[in-house]
Amino acid sequence: MSEFTREGLEPLATIGNDTPRIDAIERVTGQAKYTRDWKLPGMLYAKVLRSPHPHARIVSIDTSEADALPGVQTVISYENAQVVWGAGSVNGGRQYNDPTKEATIHRRYIFNNPVRFVGDSIAAVAATDRHIAEQAVSLIKVEYEQLPFVLEPEEALADDAPQVYAEGNLCPDFRGEFAPMVSDIGDTEAGFAEADQIFEERYETGFIHNAQMEPRCSLAHWQGDKLVLYSPSQGISNCRHDTARDLGLEDHQVQVITKYMGGGFGNKNQNQDADVIAATLSRRAGAPVMLEYSRREDWLGVHGRWPTVQYYKVGVKDDGEVTAMELRAFSGMGPYRKNSGGISGMDAYGCPNRYREISPVYTNRTTSGNFRAPSEPHGFYGVENMMDEVAYQIGMDPVEFTLKNMRRPTEEQQFTNYTLDEVIQNGAERFNWQGRRRVTPGSDEGPIKRGAGFSFMMFRAGVGTSSAIVRVNANQEYTLYVGVTDIGPGAKTTMGMIAAEALEVPLSQVEVVWGDTDRCPYSVGESGSRTTIMTGIAVVEAAEDLKRQIADRGMPSGSDVLIASASPTPTTDGKTRQCFGAHFVEVEVDTRIGSTKILKYTTVHESGRIINPSTARDQIRGATIQGIGQALHENLLYDPKTGQPLTPGYYRARHLTHKDIPDIDVHFIETDDGYGPFGAKTAGESGIILAPAAVANAVANAIGRRMTSLPITRDKILGAMA
Amino acid sequence: MKALTNINATSFSDAASAAQQARQQGHAVAFSGGGTDLLQQIKDGTDLADVIINLRSVADGRAIESDGAGVSIGGLVTLTELSEDPLVNSGLSAIAQAAGSVGTPQIRNVGTMAGNVTQRPWCWYYRNGFNCFKAGGDECFSVNGENGQHAIFGGGPSYIVHPSDVAPALVAFDAVFQVTGPNGDREVSAEDFFLLPITNPERENSLVENELLTGVRIPAVSANTVSTYHKIMDREAWTHAEVGVAAVIQRDGNEVQNAKVVLAGVAPIPWRVQAVEDFLAGQQISAAVAREAGEIGVQDAQPLSNNAHKLPMVTSAIEQAILNLAAG
Repeated sequence: MSEFTREGLEPLATIGNDTPRIDAIERVTGQAKYTRDWKLPGMLYAKVLRSPHPHARIVSIDTSEADALPGVQTVISYENAQVVWGAGSVNGGRQYNDPTKEATIHRRYIFNNPVRFVGDSIAAVAATDRHIAEQAVSLIKVEYEQLPFVLEPEEALADDAPQVYAEGNLCPDFRGEFAPMVSDIGDTEAGFAEADQIFEERYETGFIHNAQMEPRCSLAHWQGDKLVLYSPSQGISNCRHDTARDLGLEDHQVQVITKYMGGGFGNKNQNQDADVIAATLSRRAGAPVMLEYSRREDWLGVHGRWPTVQYYKVGVKDDGEVTAMELRAFSGMGPYRKNSGGISGMDAYGCPNRYREISPVYTNRTTSGNFRAPSEPHGFYGVENMMDEVAYQIGMDPVEFTLKNMRRPTEEQQFTNYTLDEVIQNGAERFNWQGRRRVTPGSDEGPIKRGAGFSFMMFRAGVGTSSAIVRVNANQEYTLYVGVTDIGPGAKTTMGMIAAEALEVPLSQVEVVWGDTDRCPYSVGESGSRTTIMTGIAVVEAAEDLKRQIADRGMPSGSDVLIASASPTPTTDGKTRQCFGAHFVEVEVDTRIGSTKILKYTTVHESGRIINPSTARDQIRGATIQGIGQALHENLLYDPKTGQPLTPGYYRARHLTHKDIPDIDVHFIETDDGYGPFGAKTAGESGIILAPAAVANAVANAIGRRMTSLPITRDKILGAMA
Repeated sequence: MKALTNINATSFSDAASAAQQARQQGHAVAFSGGGTDLLQQIKDGTDLADVIINLRSVADGRAIESDGAGVSIGGLVTLTELSEDPLVNSGLSAIAQAAGSVGTPQIRNVGTMAGNVTQRPWCWYYRNGFNCFKAGGDECFSVNGENGQHAIFGGGPSYIVHPSDVAPALVAFDAVFQVTGPNGDREVSAEDFFLLPITNPERENSLVENELLTGVRIPAVSANTVSTYHKIMDREAWTHAEVGVAAVIQRDGNEVQNAKVVLAGVAPIPWRVQAVEDFLAGQQISAAVAREAGEIGVQDAQPLSNNAHKLPMVTSAIEQAILNLAAG
């Protein structure tokens, strides 16, 4: 079930109506051309050789047999192709920042020696077909000197831990300093002194692979000094810029084409090593090169959500007022600093005394990087389980406790709008929170126990620079050029709908041109939930400009066209702009066999005005499903003795199947704060943030034991009940 | 993927002869029924076969037939056919339920009875290419490693769990396993078909090189026989049993005359819990009896460092299976 509450909002002509994706037919009939579907004359196929060891120095590499295999065109390795992959490791994990990439201390190359995780790339082959390439890779002889390895972030900071880099295992920050990320607000010492009770707990979360349907691939084709790159990117402009920088080219020398792609969830931001490897092979071979990763390579060779260990300390007065919060945490980054390692959640509370210290740590696991709301689900799980526990310990309803302690607008920091009270109260009513939660956790008689959990969030919805071009011809056919790709949320359709609304024409009169850096202007990329709000504003401005031109000059005639472009840099006047959400879950735990079943799942979100209800609803559902998977199933297990990963892939990671997925009610409270395009905020990432927290809180409410480690598998429930 | 030779067998004995011939020429050989798992194993390098004897070209082994002596199930019967067959559903429901619980509809539509019974273990060490007993090595990495999914019965020196759902149900019905080799056919009792690692740590059954399972024969069951397969999974589809229980009882009203209880997912072979069978004989089925049966079921368990959670699961699964078989 889903519902959209639009009190006080003027209805619009196109926006707000359930609208099929403009490319739905191509997708479901198999006509859509994904990167792997491209075939170019003389195209070669590539394969990468990867490290079988978690940490080793390569003593020697012998590619002579591979070179000699008939059909092999090019073999490259760390010896003869030392290309820096700038997005592969950045000081502080700061992507989109060239000076930081340039100054990065621990740079990552497309091939590395020493190798630092099982799956680290060493060499690659381009051959006339896939099988020859695979065979050639198996003919490369590598002599390794195995080195000690470390898997767990806390262990990696011990004095005697194996060193991933000579400087130690604490990752450098964006300034290149080896220090944790610290946020120190107010005076926690005074806050704890003020508290009547102090609570402490350790929480732990696992590595979650993005698990998008389409594994990484890339097709590189040089035309003179220009590189045409077909790649399933989540941001063609950024992919172009990163690839140009890595290869020593100007941006205009790289054309990135992403017509259709099979999801990414943050796995395909920037450029990936596949792009640089394919381009390097193609340049040397003098032929187009297609590089395709297998599922296992994608799982181990790209990235997933960072595993964390979080130590919380919370001081609270008897009346429920939180006086101090502290988090000391560790994020396992693997051996390269691809992204921040952030742990969010504490900042959703208004407590004036908050100390947070996060140590991003190098380990010899696979690399960690962005996955849908990169810093949030694990952080909200930690802090909201901590706070849920505190609430029950002091005898308060967690919803009441939240309403008392959540962050609110202040004189110093205003919001463009604030609906969190309404969102939480609306959800509590719809869900029947008072009827479903157990005032005394674990109080159900018998082995099958029910309980309810809740979580809430706010998530950035800030605006920023992007571009759009709109054109109209004499037939009143409009063409919108936007540098977006559709990674699932339907960005092409959304952009078309915003244009149609702004132009006051039906969507059928607007053609959308996307996914090609030579044809489309800069767009921010489908990461950070930014496309709708940032590129959407550019679309509105370009459309307004075009309407003014039409008003001034009339519709074009003959073969004339009118064109408008916009590259706005909007602001929110110093106010913070957030979307809001609350999830309520009822679970049934069979304590005899440790199983958890979700009986009811209610979500309420305020994401401003909703552009396309059907895709917005599915974004919340899909994200919630991923969050439930993180709560109950997924993790990448490693063998402690050998450093080998044991559970890569869909079977081993135990992703939810259709039969595992409960009904998920989605409700949007729609508003217009006057800032986004027609008031739209973000939706894409926000749905994943709350499920791990809410599900874990529900399990705790059912069984009366706090689950301090994700995923909540049977062995943990049975262990807690024993 | 490496180059493979495919040989379309015309009969089971032809398949056995072809396998023998290929082996004599130095090839690594595998029989392929549905091939759902085999091809992935070859791609992953955990099966080194370079000659595949394709059994889908064999006409025999596709029938489920009944005569006075019992029911025969051909090795090439698909799991979907097995789960939907009226004959199996009427008298041998544990087998139908077990077959219907395997993997996904796609796997069941292609995967065969014999393939399910003889599939290799899904231990994450073996499947990730560790050189363990199952791969011809001399170590079981689970003993001092991640053993949450490993054996609590019958382990040592390997601690894999047998991955089949159908096999425990067949054992519970005293199935006779029909084997064809280059030198002819033989029949093997359930007891002798599956091998504990103490006997042969590399293989899970007594098939020798170039032999294949062609079918099973289930002895006739009495009219008062009821059966069930109860499976606990860690998700609702596409996974193996964490714990499974095949239970077959002959009952008079609610009194158990005779019981067979065989576990899946907890031992290197389908694991008969004779103590439970002995306890149940002569009992009236009740909640208390079912509970006690479940508790007896784990008396001899020997959990490893991280799989003791399977004990309450076995207890609960046996309890549930027995309750499923209560009269009316």
